[in-house]
Amino acid sequence: MSGAECESDMDCSGSDCGDAGYEDYYSTQPWDGEIDNDINFDKQKQDPEYAVYECLRVDEVERLLNENVEFLTTNLQITPSLAKLFLHAHEWDLQDILLKYQDNTSNIMIDSKIILSHSVDPLFNMKFLKGNLCSVCFLTFPTERFSTLNCGHSFCNDCWCAYFETQILQGVSTGIRCMANSCSILAPEDFVLSLLIKPIMRERYQQFVFRDYVKSHPQLRFCPGPNCQIVIRSKELRSKRVICSICKTVFCFRCGMDYHAPTDCDTIKKWLTKCADDSETANYISAHTKDCPKCHICIEKNGGCNHMQCYNCKHDFCWMCLGDWKTHGSEYYECSRYKENPNIAHESVHAQAREALKKYLHYYERWENHSKSLKLEEQTLEEIKLRIQKKVMNASGTWIDWQHLFEAASLLARCRYTLQYTYPYAYYMEAGPRKELFEYQQAQLEAEIENLSWKIERAETTDRGDLENQMDIAEKRRITLLKDFLEV
Amino acid sequence: MATNIAAQRIKREFKEVIKSEEVSLYLNVAQCSIKVELVNDSCVELKGEIAGPPDTPYEGGNFILEIKIPETYPFNPPKVRFITKIWHPNISSITGAICLDILKDQWAAAMTLRTVLLSLQALLSAAEPDDPQDAVVAKQYKEQPEMFHQTAKHWTSVYAGGPSKMPELDEKIKRLTDMGIEEHNARDALSSYNWDLERATEQLFS
Repeated sequence: MSGAECESDMDCSGSDCGDAGYEDYYSTQPWDGEIDNDINFDKQKQDPEYAVYECLRVDEVERLLNENVEFLTTNLQITPSLAKLFLHAHEWDLQDILLKYQDNTSNIMIDSKIILSHSVDPLFNMKFLKGNLCSVCFLTFPTERFSTLNCGHSFCNDCWCAYFETQILQGVSTGIRCMANSCSILAPEDFVLSLLIKPIMRERYQQFVFRDYVKSHPQLRFCPGPNCQIVIRSKELRSKRVICSICKTVFCFRCGMDYHAPTDCDTIKKWLTKCADDSETANYISAHTKDCPKCHICIEKNGGCNHMQCYNCKHDFCWMCLGDWKTHGSEYYECSRYKENPNIAHESVHAQAREALKKYLHYYERWENHSKSLKLEEQTLEEIKLRIQKKVMNASGTWIDWQHLFEAASLLARCRYTLQYTYPYAYYMEAGPRKELFEYQQAQLEAEIENLSWKIERAETTDRGDLENQMDIAEKRRITLLKDFLEV
Repeated sequence: MATNIAAQRIKREFKEVIKSEEVSLYLNVAQCSIKVELVNDSCVELKGEIAGPPDTPYEGGNFILEIKIPETYPFNPPKVRFITKIWHPNISSITGAICLDILKDQWAAAMTLRTVLLSLQALLSAAEPDDPQDAVVAKQYKEQPEMFHQTAKHWTSVYAGGPSKMPELDEKIKRLTDMGIEEHNARDALSSYNWDLERATEQLFS
């Protein structure tokens, strides 16, 4: 049976997700393949990564949002624009809005920045409107060329229009306020559209409004894939793995970053920031500096000579072995005493800093390495495809006979991905029995993954049963680790 | 179209500011005055001037402002900074950059240059040390208000033509200039270190 269809059916309850299609059958994406049908059984309990969500197109999202708007317009007898202001201000929580509206209508109007809590300064309009003077452009117009929001501040239509255009060009849409001093009243959609003239501006405004609505809706997330229009909907805001049905981008629903189990959203953010900030510097310090063996000051080697003299304490030493230079004489190229700094027990601040750096680099290098391996395995998949093609041409089996290799490759990718994300988790873990357990399971997973990788590369000579057995073991290790340590 | 509105607005605003200045002269409170003039004919760059408000260390000083009008004015705020050096928690003692909400997200199109200058005058009367532009000044303002007052008064007298002379502070600056330090640098360092001659020297020679 098709692994691709199987996975889509389980993960997406949306209407357009099920038809991953026959043409995808032979071009299995790393995330599409589901191998072991035993795992499908009672998914929610068995699989800590199980998630319910749907992938919506823009028109489907619009329909969803409009349903909410219509619900309010019929129940509260208000205009759609007003309903949208309520919804945007209350994170699209219909029940919350209904309760507040029934409780105190003017309070919810004030909270949603629709009306002012106090009446407008009577001087404002007296000063300007007597002479039909617009206080933005200082020009006079007939009364019918003025417009005003609920706050009562009146300005000429040309100024409103120019103001909206500048705001839209700066990306502001639902947040456009009245033009009067310290007036926080928001301009509703119908008001803006009644005054905006240029079609391109109207279009852009509506796009931005839609974007703001999706962003303010707790159940909706834009797919972070480049140029992807899909919006993911999940009823629970948790750090679950979601896969875009169109561009196949895999990401965490809660934070929108690359999926990161077993690490949580805050930790992965901290880790990625640390990597972005530190990696270059840290690598440089590690590669180019050592501590003086005598005074422990940090020294950068900026020349080729290994005979170093500390600028601080004037101690002469060998860069290679950190031993006293006197013992080297002229045969320092024979220096083979490359061992631990004998003075390491006497730890200076610099040595401690280096120790911290070493710890970070230990995790960072493994993180980086698995990330690179994942990319390399995409190539492996291509090679497998070619190899299968050859076999089919030589009539040694059919496509169907070799299908399990794709499944193995996609499972390998999934396991390695999880393995990669165990390193930031371990880095931030406090030492103790739980960390020991984690690192034990991590090591087990790593070993099984390398076994699997070895067997896939030699697929022709490996027994199919043996390979599938190895796949099962690796996936079980992965699930066990996630079950024990994934908190969502 | 936007440029048109900007130029129109500036021209119309000139009349407004001039009018209000006449009123203040008439009431004989000239020290409260504000002034705006064109730098060239373009209406893009203006020069503002505000008088230090009474009962503040800025009293008696005249502070020059650089005002740049963006093309999208009045829908975006003018860019304003102090040309005259000033010692104030919300104004950078180095660049003259100003931290004031109406020059950022609280700007409204119905505000004018007059509103801006009056708000700046109000800022000189009532600093907001919890939202500082210059952290060193803000720290001094909060922890050593008397020292802050003296320093601000001294800066007003040196840079803005204020009346008070402070011989003991001038003496400290002279000690440093005698060592070959440039006068402004000496004043910056001493002000930042609460007029502690030793620490200022240390910082200047480190």
